[in-house]
Parts: sequence; structure tokens; C-alpha cells
Amino acid sequence: MDLEILQGIISIIIILGVAPLFAGMVNKQKAVLTGRVGAPILQPYYELQRLIKKETINASGSSFISRISPLINLVTLIIAAAMLPVGFWKPLISFDGDIILFAYILGLVRFFQILAAMDIGSSFEGMGAAREATFALFAEPIFFFTIGSISFISGFTSLYDIYHSIQLTNISYEVFIIICSISVFMLAVTECSRMPVDDPNTHLELTMIHEVMILDNSGIDLFLYQYSSYVKLFIYAILEVSFFYPFSKQSYLIGIIIFITGAIALTFLLGVVETITSRYRMKNIPQYLLFATAIGILNLLIYTFTK
Amino acid sequence: MENVLSILFCLSLFYVSVTSRVKAYVTVLRVQGIILSVLLMIPFIYKFSIFGIILPATLLLVKVYLIPRYINKVILDLDIKRRIEPTIQQMVFLPIVIATMVIIFLASSILSKSTELDVIPFASGFSAIVIGIYIIMSRKKLIVHVCGFLIMENGIFLFGTAVASELPMMIELGTLLDIFVVVFLMGIALNKISSTFEGFEVTHLGRLKD
Repeated sequence: MDLEILQGIISIIIILGVAPLFAGMVNKQKAVLTGRVGAPILQPYYELQRLIKKETINASGSSFISRISPLINLVTLIIAAAMLPVGFWKPLISFDGDIILFAYILGLVRFFQILAAMDIGSSFEGMGAAREATFALFAEPIFFFTIGSISFISGFTSLYDIYHSIQLTNISYEVFIIICSISVFMLAVTECSRMPVDDPNTHLELTMIHEVMILDNSGIDLFLYQYSSYVKLFIYAILEVSFFYPFSKQSYLIGIIIFITGAIALTFLLGVVETITSRYRMKNIPQYLLFATAIGILNLLIYTFTK
Repeated sequence: MENVLSILFCLSLFYVSVTSRVKAYVTVLRVQGIILSVLLMIPFIYKFSIFGIILPATLLLVKVYLIPRYINKVILDLDIKRRIEPTIQQMVFLPIVIATMVIIFLASSILSKSTELDVIPFASGFSAIVIGIYIIMSRKKLIVHVCGFLIMENGIFLFGTAVASELPMMIELGTLLDIFVVVFLMGIALNKISSTFEGFEVTHLGRLKD
């Protein structure tokens, strides 16, 4: 019991510590694949360090919402992170039905970010908030249809149990899991504003979704927003890597090795996807998200009728 | 194994209902051809016979090589633009496809209680037939109609493998010949139309009178 709590605490520390490194690795992969040298892998840490030294200035028309929103962002994401099985360990928070808490905690993060963007009163940020809300509407069913369908089949409703019920016994279940992981990958790309949906590098207001919402923040607020976006990317990476559980049943050590290899492979995959695809037009994005939902529905149908 | 191939087939159907490029339709036809020929080859992994390998090989030749190559040639020759020009929005088309698939899966699972059939290949084949019809209904370009027709035909093929374990080979070969001739004639017809009209859209055909 004590060991499990210790493992949970270590997991959170790992998530908080490694998240910027993961983002840095994705950026490095992308730079290398497009033929540039790229920023060092530790660049996100340097940027966070630079931001924390700067002065915080709030817009004159803003209320308390935009002051508390960055903190709520980070804290809720840490709670969400506490539910994930890092290195296939038992997480700190794990109870029946925690997938719903997980989904809505991520929803709360988004809600406060949208509120804070509207609070400042800039028309650009309002536009970004509208886009975020629209795409979130299409992104939420992906989570419920994919994780929900595995939950429906395994009969568990806790993230840890769901991932630990994955077995490689029959071939149609294996394909089912592979298709689920594709769907989760598409969700991760959307939620973390990566390439086919949003380009994290452009600073042209008309094309931005997530970046435009934090245009008026500075100093410690911007630090919290940036840090929570790194944590969010890592949370989705863990959701994806946890699908490798069946290969790591022998011992803790093999589990950890597979987890790290999976995470590195995922940075490579994200880098490749961001290199070979261009950003979709805004009107095509709901279609892309609906496609991921369709995969989830197909999964559910197929597995229900094979049994 | 058949279930896995049918799932891949369904995914290709989803892709065809979101994409807006004509070239992507041809690629999907190729992929579906490969899936179907692998599906036909499965029984011969255990007991090999030269006679049994004829049909998959012909299928591979016709559906993966000849027909897509010919369609690509038509696209190049007639200088067809790459957009498919749907009559209803793509965003609406996908939910319709999903709803149809759900209904078909439910219906075929009810059917499977009273008759002997594999639910997943049956339902995927059936959905391919319906989605082929949808594609023919909701696209303006004639070349996309040909692709919709071929997707429908692929569906019938998969449907057949689900219902009867082994269709007579001569019938299958005859169907393949028919399909090839139809696509060939379609190409000739498109060529003729192109010499009379500017575009290759159904809307132009509305003005035709005898």
C-alpha cells in the first residue's frame, strides 16, 4: 500500500519534470526531419526559466478570472496527471469511474482558458476562444468513444484497470486496440494543438487557435500556461504509450524500459506527422475530428458483434 | 483474420467519405482490391492449389493494376480537376455514413440469429454497397461516379464471401470481366462527352434532350 502511494507520487514528479523535455524532443525531431539544426532539447526549460523572471502585466479591463485561470489550468492538469499509470504503475488517484472525472477535468482546463481569453476583451482572443470551443465540441466524443469502448468491452471504468485489461489473446482484439490507439493519437494532436489541426509555430492571428488565447499574458501567467501545455502534451503521450502494457507484464524494469522507448517513439511519430502534413483549413478540421469519432464508433460496433 | 480485413475495409470506406480528392478515390480502390484478394487467398494458405490461386491473381491484376491505371489515364487525358465537388457538404456526409453503418450492423446482427453468416464481413460489404450508392448520389463528377460504382462492386464481392463460403470461380471471373468492360466503356463515354461539353459534371447532362 505504502509502495503504491510512493509510486504515485514519483509518477507525478516524473510527469512534472519530464513534460518540457518531451516537448523539446518533439521540436528537435521536427527540426531534424525538416533539415534544420533546431533548438536544443532542453530549450523548453530555458524558456520557462526566462518567463519566470519577467514581470506580470494584466490587461487593464480584465477581472479576477484571468488572474486565477493560469493557476487553475496547471493544478487541474496535475490532478489529471495523478490518474495516469506512468510506467504502468498504479496511479495516485484511481477509483471506479475515474475516466469521466479525467475527461471533465480536462474540460475544466479548457473552460477556464476560454473564460480567461474572453475576459481580456480582445477581439482576437475572443476568436481563438470560439475556435477552441468549437473544436472541443468535436474532440470530446473521440475520448468517450475510444476509451469508452475499451471500458465497455473490459467492464472496468477506471483508467488504470482499463489499460491493465488489455491482452493480446485474439487477433480481432489486437486490431481493435491498434485502431483505438490511432484514434487517441488523433485526439492528442487536436487537444495539444499540434500540426494538422493547429500550427504551434505560426504567430499569425488568423491561423492560431491555442496560441491566440494567451497573447495578452506575460510573466508568471504565461509561464503557467506554457508549462501546463507541456504537461498536457505529456499526459496525452502517456495515454498513448499505456497501450503497450501487454508487453511489460514480466517485471517493473521491463515496463519502465518499454514506457521510455514508447515515449521516444511517440516523439518521433509526432515529428514525422508534423513534417509530412500541412495544417488543415479551419473548415476541414471538424471533419478530421469526426473521422476519429467514426473510428471509435466502428470499433464499438465491431467488437460488440464479434462476441 | 477475415474480421480484421473487414475492419480495414470499413476504415477505407470512412476515408472515402471524408476525402475531397479524386486521386484518393483511386488509391482507396487499389487498397480495397488488395484487401479483397488477400481475403480470397486465406483458404489457400493451408491447402495450396494452383486452381484456387487463379481468382485472387486475376482480382489483383484487374482491381489493383488495370482499373486504377485506366482511371488515372482518363483523369490525366481529360484534365479532370482534383476536387470531387460534392453536392452535399462533406461534414454532413460523414454522419450519414456513420448512421447508415450503425443501422446495417444492428440489422445484420439481428439477421445472424436466424441465418448462418459472418456478421462483420456481411455488414461491411453491405455498408460498402450503400455508401457506393451515396457516393453516386452526392457527387457531381462523372469519374467519381465510376469510383462509387466500383466501391459498390467491391461491397458485393465482400458480401458474397460472407454469405457463401466459396462462390463458383467462373461466376467471379465473369463478374470481373464485366466490371472491366464497364469501366472501359465509361472511359470511352467520358471521352465522347468531353468532346461535346466543357466539363464532366452531372449538372451539364441535365440539358441533354433527345
